[in-house]
Amino acid sequence: MSYSGCFHCNEVIPKGSDFSLQIEQQQRQFCCPGCLAVAETIIDQGLGDYYKFRTAPASKAELVPGQLQLVNYDSAEVLADLTQNKDNHTQIELSISGISCAACAWLIEKQLKKNPTVYSVSVNSSTARCIVSWDVKQLKLSDILTSISQLGYQAAPFMADQEEAVQQAELRRFLKRLAVSGIMSMQVMMLAFGLYFGEYTGIEPQFEGYLRWISLLLTTPVVFYSAKPFTLSAWRAIKGRELNMDVPVTLAVFYTFIASAYATLFGIGEVYFESVCMFVFLLQLGKFFEFRARAQARAATGNLLKIMPVSARLVQGDELVPTSARRLEAGQIILVQAGETIAADGVVLSGESSVDESMLTGEYKAVSKAAGDTVMAGSINHDGVLKVTVHQALASSRLGQIISLQQQTLNQKPQIVEKTTQLARFFIQRLLIIALATFLVWYFWLDQERAFWVTLSVLVATCPCALTLATPTAITCALARLNRKGILIKNQQVLEVLPQLTSVFLDKTGSLTQGRFSILRTQLHNTAYDEATLLALIARIETYSEHPIARAFSSYLNTEIKVEQVQVHVGSGLSALWLQNNASLTVKVGSAAFCAVQDQTAAAVCCTINNQLVLSVELSDALRPEVPALITALKQRGLTLSMLTGDSSAQVEEVQQQLQFDQVFKGCSPEQKVEHIQQAVSQGDKVLMLGDGINDSPCFHAAHVSVALDSGTDLSKNQADVVLLHNDLHLVQQLIEGAVLAQRIVKQNLWWAVGYNLVIIPLAVAGFVSPYIAVIGMSFSSILVVSNSLRLLKT
Amino acid sequence: MSIIYVLIPIAILFVCIGLGIFFWAVRSRQFDDLNKEGMSILFEEEKQAAPQNDKDKLPPQ
Repeated sequence: MSYSGCFHCNEVIPKGSDFSLQIEQQQRQFCCPGCLAVAETIIDQGLGDYYKFRTAPASKAELVPGQLQLVNYDSAEVLADLTQNKDNHTQIELSISGISCAACAWLIEKQLKKNPTVYSVSVNSSTARCIVSWDVKQLKLSDILTSISQLGYQAAPFMADQEEAVQQAELRRFLKRLAVSGIMSMQVMMLAFGLYFGEYTGIEPQFEGYLRWISLLLTTPVVFYSAKPFTLSAWRAIKGRELNMDVPVTLAVFYTFIASAYATLFGIGEVYFESVCMFVFLLQLGKFFEFRARAQARAATGNLLKIMPVSARLVQGDELVPTSARRLEAGQIILVQAGETIAADGVVLSGESSVDESMLTGEYKAVSKAAGDTVMAGSINHDGVLKVTVHQALASSRLGQIISLQQQTLNQKPQIVEKTTQLARFFIQRLLIIALATFLVWYFWLDQERAFWVTLSVLVATCPCALTLATPTAITCALARLNRKGILIKNQQVLEVLPQLTSVFLDKTGSLTQGRFSILRTQLHNTAYDEATLLALIARIETYSEHPIARAFSSYLNTEIKVEQVQVHVGSGLSALWLQNNASLTVKVGSAAFCAVQDQTAAAVCCTINNQLVLSVELSDALRPEVPALITALKQRGLTLSMLTGDSSAQVEEVQQQLQFDQVFKGCSPEQKVEHIQQAVSQGDKVLMLGDGINDSPCFHAAHVSVALDSGTDLSKNQADVVLLHNDLHLVQQLIEGAVLAQRIVKQNLWWAVGYNLVIIPLAVAGFVSPYIAVIGMSFSSILVVSNSLRLLKT
Repeated sequence: MSIIYVLIPIAILFVCIGLGIFFWAVRSRQFDDLNKEGMSILFEEEKQAAPQNDKDKLPPQ
């Protein structure tokens, strides 16, 4: 890797800063003291290999981890909620943010294993999870979290949901079955070659019998262990008086296996053990890749419970007692410090602060709170200290309600009938009837001896391999193709709906817009200063603030500017002394009221020097640059576009004027959003919903396809069918195009498979196809279908 | 040719051992994160704290 920026995170090094460290005889530059401290820790611990082998730069390190909040995790109540006890060790699952490549996993494992009281650490770099088991009596949880944060990662306790644990276990079972069928196929194939050659050059009967018996032995676990999922699924279908793809698969597997076993037992006819093994192996392989893609997508976006507040500080008399957020009760008083998540719905008792409620309301502006105001669980306290009287326990809080609304809508997902399933059902019925008829006709009227073998070749030749492989292979390849572009698909059914899409609902804040402040325009009031210097000055002062407005200035940061005595005035602004040419000037940055100036414009931030207004800055939440092009492209597809937003400000009209949606719904609560979408669905529309916030996630289940952005909240990513891994809305268009392409390939595959079957059936029924030729035809059509699907991988 | 009566069972035995090892590897979660296991060979197992001269760093200004 080459480094133009910071050696640790590769970000641009601000002008005038000088953070450097000698690493292996080379002077390296860093962007901030945070990155420097992390690099120092890594090198001092002898973990410098990390820099040699990593494949992606680390994320920017924060210097001050929330120490106070970490200590809360040490209380016995909180620990009991988060950890499991396993043979005298305590085990916890952590979700770690900032993992960018496999080297990060190695780094964290090494660092934690240095401590002798840590028994085992296992970091999964693709899901960004870590399982630690340690002795809780000798080492505190907060120490573990701190040592991870010293490496520049943020770790938080995490609890995987039930479904995910089940999926992981299933994935392991899949691997085992795949190994059995794969390895056995190789063995049986080897023996089959011996038998093939024996056919032509002659083979002694006792050797032929021996090889057949061994093949039978090796095929048995494939049929009864590896093919179990197909058998069970087929059994369930038959019990429910249905036919699915697994019915003919199971039938073919067992029919071929029993026929071959019969041939082995009595030393007559032919054996097809290698076909059975290969068939099971190939089907398993396709299913495995598909399942793994889905399971990983789910795990990677499943960090849901991170947003649920874990701990709280309870005020008891003069004392502060850390407690578990889940055990809070109405009437209790909690203390919330700057940067902490509010643990319950309640009313502010004392204190003053601004609170970020964007996760719950979609409103990106911080809301200022004073005594008597209500606060919601899950929102983040920005700058002041608040004492809050708890009104409702966490489960019945607004956050809890949204999550349960989500669970309710989960079962209301519009059902999509898979076309291939319908086709298969139709086809299988006919096929079974034909096979039965063939057997009866041959047995009673034609040749009793050949009846069994002719029926076998009908079943083998028409074996639904190609038909069953047609859709899954195309879907798996389409998933891989989209994944490479940065589109993660968690529910593969979306590929089937997307080509029929008629309506698109888009959330505004955070989806169409960037969801953060950026500078709209500035006005200079005093020409003695130039604008660039002033912006740099504001940026320098704003580094002391946690407020979201501060981030709008971060690109102007220049650390050459010297400021002193920076003071944060909660909810209004900052003041500082600017040291310039041996003079020190009083600078105030903040609201017009705070700066004590009369401002005509609707500026959000004013800057005064010695109480003279010098610069006013207007901020807005700008549209993402690619949005207009995307909207045009979607309109060209003939889709109905609707904007669905919780915002009711004038910005909605502005956006509407610029983009011209067909429908606009503003000021919607999460429930209303769901209603609007359900209405569209009931009118027969195929609906796609694009959103990013917790308030959008209930709608995700109401729509046929839901898309979340990577910048969105964890909850929305967890619930969405599709996650865009880059914050680029062009991907929506690519997603639709990819789905259309996949559908075309599926159609081609199905045409081939059906066409081939229609040609071979009459021949097989008439007895012209010997089982060997049937196997060749079947393999050939399967290979053709798989290769056609592989074309999707070429871009 | 009758040697195959001995050799094939031996081959099957090896296959079974191989499968057993694979099952163990799956159970001990070695297949959960293939990226990490692939990288692990690049890192030296035991490396003591870095030599002194690496620690000579310039203080931030």
